[in-house]
Amino acid sequence: MSPFFFYLFATILILACLAVVFARNPLYNVLALVVAIFSLSCLFVLLEAFFVGMILLLVYAGAVLIFFLFVVMCLNLNATPLSSAQQNRFQWLGGIVGLMFASSLCLATKSFIKAQTMEASSIQGTIEAIGKILFTDYLLPFELTSLLLLIAIFGIVSLAQGALSTGKNMENS
Amino acid sequence: MITLGSYLALSGIIFSIGLVGVTTSRNVIKVLLSLELLLAASNLSFVAFSKFNGDYSGQLIVFFVILVAAAEVAIGLAIIVLMYRHLSTIQADELRTMKW
Repeated sequence: MSPFFFYLFATILILACLAVVFARNPLYNVLALVVAIFSLSCLFVLLEAFFVGMILLLVYAGAVLIFFLFVVMCLNLNATPLSSAQQNRFQWLGGIVGLMFASSLCLATKSFIKAQTMEASSIQGTIEAIGKILFTDYLLPFELTSLLLLIAIFGIVSLAQGALSTGKNMENS
Repeated sequence: MITLGSYLALSGIIFSIGLVGVTTSRNVIKVLLSLELLLAASNLSFVAFSKFNGDYSGQLIVFFVILVAAAEVAIGLAIIVLMYRHLSTIQADELRTMKW
């Protein structure tokens, strides 16, 4: 595991996360999150978690974030910009909360800094290894996840139907 | 030298950035994006611990987290579209009542 690639992808990840939070245009927020997810999956590959990194690329960057892009473009958000005074009122408070949280996390992880290197364990998260455990030990959670996705589909369909019926009522009245 | 601590520090930095985004942004879409950052930071620490301990359970939990996040994003975006239809804005300040 070469340290150069870790620092490269970590820098890209932190810069992209800053762009997600602080860029003004919502379109740029979503595109920065695509970059962040891509470098995160590169870090997963460095940790030899190949399957999870691939799933992260396919599901997150491929499906979820494109869905975000569709919604941002459909809503036409650039027509309603924020007034800067309204936006900056509580921003310093959030910054203080974030700094306090970051310092407490640094205190918590300080004991791990001196820990031994990652070479001690050599597991490889290939599809074969993950699939063996997924279909033996974790079979029940896996099936329950399919139930969760089904319930999510029901929720979205009922929400969309409610939107359609209220739209018809608005047209009638 | 890359140790477990460097991955945990990176994960903590990303989590803090996401926390600032959740608490400060008024745009509801930005809040959802920052929530994705929080989930990504916890995923990174899960995979780092999985590699460190030589146990596959961390990577499986990341798999489940990705699936749950996909469901959460789908429902959240549907609610945002409904909110935009009713209020014609997506500022969180405008959500003052629980009744349309």
